[in-house]
Amino acid sequence: MPLLDVAGLTKRFAGVTALDDVSFTVAPGEILGLFGPNGAGKTTCFHCLSGFTLPDAGRIVFDGRPITGRAPHTLARLGIGRTFQIVKPFRGLSALDNVRVALGHTEYGGFGAIFRSWRTAAPRRAAQALLDRVGLAAAADRKAGLLPLGMLKRLEVARALALSPRLVLLDEPLGGLGPEEMAAIAALITGLRAEGLGIILVEHQMRVAMSIVERVVVLDHGVLIAEGTPEAIRRDRRVIEAYLGETPEEDAHAAGH
Amino acid sequence: MYLYTVATLVGIYCILTLGLNTITGIAGQISLGHAAFLGIGAYTAAILTVTYGWDFWPALVAACLAAGVAGALVGAAAIRVREDFLAITTMGINFVVVGVFLYFPFFGGSFGIGGIPSPRWFGGPLAKPGFLVLTLAGLVLALAVNLWLLRSWAGLALMATREDEDSARAAGVDVRRFKILAFSIGTALAGLAGSLYAHYLTFISAGDFGFPFSITILCMLVLGGIGTNRGAILGAVVLGVLPELFRPLADYRMLTYGAILLALMRWAPHGLVGDESWLWRILRRRAAA
Amino acid sequence: MTATLVQQLINGLTVGSLYALMALGLTMVYGVLRVLHIAHAAVFTLGGYGGLAVYQATGSFWLALAGAMLAAVAAGLAMERWVYWPLLGKPPIATLIASIGLFIGLEELYRIVAGPEPYAFAVPLRLPEIRRGPLLVTPPQLLVMALTAGLLIALWLMLTRTALGLALRAASQDQEMAAACGMRVRGVVMANFAIGSALAGAAGMLVGIYYNSVSPTMGDVAGYKGLAIIVLGGLGSIPGTVLGALVIGLVETLVIGFVEFPLPRDAWAFLAMIAVFLARPQGLLGVK
Repeated sequence: MPLLDVAGLTKRFAGVTALDDVSFTVAPGEILGLFGPNGAGKTTCFHCLSGFTLPDAGRIVFDGRPITGRAPHTLARLGIGRTFQIVKPFRGLSALDNVRVALGHTEYGGFGAIFRSWRTAAPRRAAQALLDRVGLAAAADRKAGLLPLGMLKRLEVARALALSPRLVLLDEPLGGLGPEEMAAIAALITGLRAEGLGIILVEHQMRVAMSIVERVVVLDHGVLIAEGTPEAIRRDRRVIEAYLGETPEEDAHAAGH
Repeated sequence: MYLYTVATLVGIYCILTLGLNTITGIAGQISLGHAAFLGIGAYTAAILTVTYGWDFWPALVAACLAAGVAGALVGAAAIRVREDFLAITTMGINFVVVGVFLYFPFFGGSFGIGGIPSPRWFGGPLAKPGFLVLTLAGLVLALAVNLWLLRSWAGLALMATREDEDSARAAGVDVRRFKILAFSIGTALAGLAGSLYAHYLTFISAGDFGFPFSITILCMLVLGGIGTNRGAILGAVVLGVLPELFRPLADYRMLTYGAILLALMRWAPHGLVGDESWLWRILRRRAAA
Repeated sequence: MTATLVQQLINGLTVGSLYALMALGLTMVYGVLRVLHIAHAAVFTLGGYGGLAVYQATGSFWLALAGAMLAAVAAGLAMERWVYWPLLGKPPIATLIASIGLFIGLEELYRIVAGPEPYAFAVPLRLPEIRRGPLLVTPPQLLVMALTAGLLIALWLMLTRTALGLALRAASQDQEMAAACGMRVRGVVMANFAIGSALAGAAGMLVGIYYNSVSPTMGDVAGYKGLAIIVLGGLGSIPGTVLGALVIGLVETLVIGFVEFPLPRDAWAFLAMIAVFLARPQGLLGVK
């Protein structure tokens, strides 16, 4: 049984069809690349999968349960973690506290949230461990608002992982990173696979992304135009045409400049 | 004695600013109508004790509940709404509530409610020193509530909501529930202040609880340092005491508040002792050395 | 009965026109800066005082109107320069609080300088009284409606026919895009303030004449109501604001005229706003 089963996902915004009858699956322990030129609908897809946008049509089934249209916090608690394309840290809180917020996902549903304290040893240890994993151990007590972009991207990943998720949606986690940082995050992502997490990766850093994904799905103007292995996609004529349709600036961006 | 009055009123202001801090400082929800909840608490206490002969203590609890429930309703409205809208809505609620108090005879209309009895303590009415102690107890309670909240997962959820609602949702926080919680707690505290206010002044009228007073409370909180409990208390003390120290200032009260708010936002948005304020950073450094 | 209804409709439209002039500035500033310009009400009041002062000095209605509008523009631009522009990068709550501080400070200033007592603003109007059967439009009402119509038409022409108007509309859609297209954003913001303030200044003077009273707190009611109106009509939407203003004006007048409901006028504006808001959070003509 697939971890995630998306069927016929459709979303329209004021005359623009952002997603048009998109269907795909993700297996546990699989890294799926969700690629496509700018404006293809990738982030909209993520918003539908994580509950931030209500699709106009289609069905999303996560681990056998239909989750279409459920609220973001419910999906977070069910085990779907995500990062945002434009980082959204809790700027006034420390990096450690940023992660601790997500660790509280088991508490927020009940009345215990009012009574139990988060300033105990266990959450602190768990948060520190997560920061270690993404290489942010040293920045634990620094205010998130003061951290550089590369670190904030990693903080987003740590926050998503704090949910003990089974599916992680990574929206351009490599953007704005230097080559070493990129390699580190790529290794991290590959490592997650071993734990049985399903991962959907949206990226423009094609070289690195293609090397970690196992299967690729390509969107163009909301339509799923190709699906297959990275090698097959690289040679797919429709995909090449879709990307060629981009302006030189977009090409440069896609090539990682 | 005069000093008792000032001290008691300042104590009541502190409870108000602490309650507003819960809503605006901790949870990041703008509330420009906090005085309305003071009014709801005050009128509840007044009517229950004057018209229905209730005792002080049950009426106090009822005042907190009434204000808290009203706050929960506002919190529920806050869910659908962005910052700017919320500001206007809470402002509007202030006007509507005051309008209701003013025009329905049940609330005494424009005459207000008078003859509110003093609380009874061991058989006799509570004198001024005793009332001050009572108010300080209320202050301690308000402070304790906020401190507890800050340590709890609920408080962390509120702070996350304040910093970034979408990220909070993605982290498992049901932003709706927690907004309602923040409003309820903050307004219940205002209700507590309302009961104390009513019983201390023994006479209340709708005009006491209008928008200008909401602004005054906000000004106190912002002056002290929004988001901090010490700021809430310091701001209430400074702006509560200043007009008494400089009598002529009392006439120019609103002008001063306006100027303070403007100057603060422009040059010192963290207030006197807020987390990033100049003064607090110096104090922190001294303490670390 | 119908006669009274029609009469109340006229009254409501007149009041609504005044609200519209007053509230347009608010919605225009919000559209471009995403800021609630609460101090706008103080600009409105300045229009009242300014117009009165010029009228007492010159005896000319038109000079007074010009004076009111100029004073308002000066005030609006000063606010933009010293309060709103410097606070642009900061969190919106800071600007909101600053605006509130500005408003209450200015009101007090008016009280201190001009005194708390209202001034009369009697202007003999050489306008006809229109009587058509049961319908009666008094000269002040005629003045208000005609002037409002004139100003609104001028505004509409400016927005749709001139380059500045295009820039304003673009900026209210998306400030970043507008800047990218080479428009001087600062200039657009200033023009926006100027126009909105001018309208408010005119409104202030007209309100002073219509109610024959100019006082430091005359901005209160209009100010709060203005906020309710722009939310009702849809934040940032100019047609929405005009519609919202007329609706509020009519609702207020009709309710007070026909229903014995004891709530004060101002509370109605907010109630109407809250009602619309719960049903349609983006306002009557707002965009989600």
